[in-house]
Amino acid sequence: MLLDFALPEHERKLIPDGRVSGSMPWVIAIMTFLTLLAAAAGLIMANAAMQGGADLARQVTVQIIEPDPTARKVQSDGAARILRSAPGVTDVEIVPDAQIREMLSPWLGEDVIDADIPVPSLIDIRLDSPANEEKLTELRNALSPIAPSAKLDSQADWMAPFFSLMNSLLLLAVGILLLLLIATSATVMLAVRSALNNHRETIEIMHMMGGTDVQAARLFQRRMALDALFGAVIGFILAVIVVLLLSFQFSAANSSLLSGAAMPWYGWIALAIIPLAITGLAMLIARRTVLSALKKML
Amino acid sequence: MQSVVEFDNVGLRYGTGTEALTDISFTLYPGSFYFLTGASGAGKTSLLKLLYLAHRPSRGSIRMFDQDAVTLPRERMPGFRRRIGVVFQDFRLVPHLSTFDNIALPLRIAGIQEKDLQNPVSEMLNWIGLTDREHARPATLSGGEQQRVAIARAVIGRPEILVADEPTGNVDPDMARRLLQLFAALNKLGTTIVVATHDIHLLQEIENAQMMRLDAGRLADPTGSLRHPPKPLVLKS
Repeated sequence: MLLDFALPEHERKLIPDGRVSGSMPWVIAIMTFLTLLAAAAGLIMANAAMQGGADLARQVTVQIIEPDPTARKVQSDGAARILRSAPGVTDVEIVPDAQIREMLSPWLGEDVIDADIPVPSLIDIRLDSPANEEKLTELRNALSPIAPSAKLDSQADWMAPFFSLMNSLLLLAVGILLLLLIATSATVMLAVRSALNNHRETIEIMHMMGGTDVQAARLFQRRMALDALFGAVIGFILAVIVVLLLSFQFSAANSSLLSGAAMPWYGWIALAIIPLAITGLAMLIARRTVLSALKKML
Repeated sequence: MQSVVEFDNVGLRYGTGTEALTDISFTLYPGSFYFLTGASGAGKTSLLKLLYLAHRPSRGSIRMFDQDAVTLPRERMPGFRRRIGVVFQDFRLVPHLSTFDNIALPLRIAGIQEKDLQNPVSEMLNWIGLTDREHARPATLSGGEQQRVAIARAVIGRPEILVADEPTGNVDPDMARRLLQLFAALNKLGTTIVVATHDIHLLQEIENAQMMRLDAGRLADPTGSLRHPPKPLVLKS
């Protein structure tokens, strides 16, 4: 069917080429632009959810809740030592007191913290695989002799709602993408029907001279392909500019939550395929619309 | 003799109205020449539409090229239509195509290569006297010129049947005679010709041409010759 795109010049002349002059390429350009934005949003969110989720799922925070500072220090150092030798633990880092106080100061105030309020010690550990309840229990048991008050929190637990939101937004983006493709298909169908009506006389003459439905369909699908390709390229260029600008802004935001919010390399390939897919879809819809309409003619 | 077209008790009704054609029966033989006459509204154009497969009859049977044309599957229509040349009353030239491209249209639809259609189209342009207008669009041609292009387009594929609806209605008598000579030449090559016309003078131009007269949708066959093979064609000098 794609070979039909390269019709000989004399066949192309059977219906006049109205590309670019009509509104169809610009409608396709807008549809492509919106489709690409939806796809880009979906790809970026999927990437963020995958990267962030995989990373956070391996992180666990150990809290040493002990009011006596000296005992807390002893327990903290002992827990870190045990964790460093524990199987499956790849990284252990005791969070400095100053950093903990800095994190708490917005809620408790500098004065209160300086008033020697007991603050838990924190140990960030990273596992070689996503934390599960079995692993946490194993670590808890290993720590209990030296730090009976140790509390282990998987970071995936408190980030779960965020990634759940990301997944919902991803599904929404996929839904929007599908709706836009359906709207594009409907637009192409209407445009082809309109073009078919405009050229009904020519098609009837072709029929009376022995022209086949496929010959007529090729004329319209070629014309629609040219319109769609032109519009899709314009929409692609605009969408890439917008995605690049947003990517720069994400990078500038320097937020840990947005650290994975970047277009993956395969995302650019997917975005480049979408305009071609829209062109192919337009050709297919044009062909089916014409063949379906011509069946009603003798 | 093997027939080209056989109508047997054919009726044609548009929608729920009265029949435009009633009980039409005739046989057309290869190489014969027929004039179809009748008053306006008698059903000439409707009969021609059945002949060039633009409509299916409401009843009766039509055999064409020894096959049933009534139940002919739609996908086989193009092959049949390529064997039939049509001159429409309103010419029906493709408005955005040049004279050359309009005449070449049937050959291109049939898949003839560009190199093979240059000569026949040029010869046809020369014959109808429009060589200098080969790039002109139909809108810039006079009525007579458009008619000549329509005739050239109908005959260029050397059809087995040529159906012409008032083909000389817009040309001067000299050109009308030349066009009839073209039809007669085609006829000699074996093409069956059916010409619908009001012009009774045309009937005298071609000897042995048979006449079919329609009257209020019914066929009058005063000579009874429609069911008999024609004699060899002789064109009056």
